[in-house]
Amino acid sequence: MSRSVILETKGLSKAFGGLVALDKVDLSIETGKIIAVIGPNGAGKTTLFNLVTGVYPMSGGEIYFQGALLNKVPPHKRASLGIVRTFQHVYLFGNMNVLENVMLGRHPRSSYGFLEAALRLPKARREEEAISLNAIKYLNLVGLGTYAEHDALSLPLGQQKLLAIARALATEPRLILLDEPGAGLNTLEKRQLSDLIRNIREMGVSVILVEHDMPLVMGIAEWVIVLDSGAKIAEGTAAQIQKDRKVIAAYLGEEVE
Amino acid sequence: MIARLKSNWSYLAIATLFAFLILAPFDWFLGQYTTLMIVIGIYTIVTVGLCLLMGYTGQVSLGQAAFFGMGAYISAILSTTYGFNPWLAMLIAAVITGAFAYTIGSPIFRLKGNYLAMATLGLGLIMWIVFKQLNQSFGEPDGISGIPYLSIGGFVFDSSFRRYFLVWAFCLVILLISQNIIRSRTGRALRAIHGSEAAAESIGINVGRFKVKILVLSAVYASLAGSLFAHHLRYIGAQPFDFLASVKLVVMAVIGGLASIWGAIFGAGTTHILSDELLLRFGDWDVVIYGLILVLVMIFMPEGLFVKLKEVFERLRLMYRKKGVEP
Repeated sequence: MSRSVILETKGLSKAFGGLVALDKVDLSIETGKIIAVIGPNGAGKTTLFNLVTGVYPMSGGEIYFQGALLNKVPPHKRASLGIVRTFQHVYLFGNMNVLENVMLGRHPRSSYGFLEAALRLPKARREEEAISLNAIKYLNLVGLGTYAEHDALSLPLGQQKLLAIARALATEPRLILLDEPGAGLNTLEKRQLSDLIRNIREMGVSVILVEHDMPLVMGIAEWVIVLDSGAKIAEGTAAQIQKDRKVIAAYLGEEVE
Repeated sequence: MIARLKSNWSYLAIATLFAFLILAPFDWFLGQYTTLMIVIGIYTIVTVGLCLLMGYTGQVSLGQAAFFGMGAYISAILSTTYGFNPWLAMLIAAVITGAFAYTIGSPIFRLKGNYLAMATLGLGLIMWIVFKQLNQSFGEPDGISGIPYLSIGGFVFDSSFRRYFLVWAFCLVILLISQNIIRSRTGRALRAIHGSEAAAESIGINVGRFKVKILVLSAVYASLAGSLFAHHLRYIGAQPFDFLASVKLVVMAVIGGLASIWGAIFGAGTTHILSDELLLRFGDWDVVIYGLILVLVMIFMPEGLFVKLKEVFERLRLMYRKKGVEP
């Protein structure tokens, strides 16, 4: 049996006016792996995430998630399909406490609506209990259990990033996209982050991360994809990528003949 | 421990509020202000809807008086010209207003921020003109009169004492319902949309649909309040539903604390008393005063006067407690 693919792109393109951010990128992401997407600034890494999660409409190409075409699926439905992401700028909900932020992650896994909420019908109370139990579970998973009642934005950046991951995990994804999870973290926090990411993979969730911190990437990524100026220039294991001449050139700005 | 103390205090606060509301209309207490308090109750209902829409979901409406007026006018026309039962008229008004809000919801929410404010402002102005036309078609040049009182069986709400309890029963039910919504999955989703639409969408919240739904809910609240207003005054004109009315409603929500359900009573109360008793003396300058209040509150207490007062109260209580424990 061939390897199972969780995410596949064919000729994926995105242009902002005249600026081509992604140019006919073909990717095939294996299920259950930690994949890193690296590249210099402006390579199109975050654009890739935005296309996969539907933040922007794509200019051309196709995206398949677990074999099904994703192009026409509205962004909010992608979470219930099992794709979730975190943001470079974290985007926690500042008007809520830590636990409520994670409870929001249960949104696609619960269903009661206005009427049940307004009248506090049994369905609402039942689901609400399950929502908070699950939220606590994910909060503990990232080690923030004791901060449940704190304001989300009162946490230091490192913990805010963990909280954003907990919120994303609470949606029970098949694939999680982490946008620069290591940025702004100190060495200890980065080590905790690496452990957490391995933990997520152990849970059977495929991980794609965009990251600038090379030691972090090389330490955990099982497969590395390199983008430069909107095109894929290389992919392989960390060891292979480190020796790739085109990659070195892209980072150091040299011309390759 | 602190949480429990806090909740004990809020039970006490709500119990006090209930006691006050029950006793207020009696002659030996505040009986002479019954009519004023009926109108405050009606405005509170509209304000709660606006709090849900603006404070929790972060969507501006400068045209809320349009929905308020729709409730009043549909109730008035159906129960006078067409002789509908007032309750049925009220129900139909709420359904029509809700459907109207639903229809305009998706195009209007393509806009954000100032543009959304302008669009809702336009809506308010258009509806105001429609109301004036309705006066011509269904009533006298200035309004529609002869609107019947509401009644249950043989019990007619023909005294302000009776209407007071009717209006406040409506108001409290709506406050409770709204509080339940805020503390639910739905309420969290609304607050998430206010926080970050991108993040909300990324965890599966259908941002567009939630915005439309909360607009519909706030419109239905406003419509119910409008119907109560019509059956209370028995005469309505277009003036209470003009642009200034929409501004006044925003002031009420802001003073009460945009993200505070119970603050709505306070906001509606202070603003209405202020405008009815004091601002009249300023004539056409009242709109300037509203603007000034809005600006000052937004700068110095963005969480609202009510929430600010609650904080002050809390601090005083802590000071008092400390003194008590360590003499």
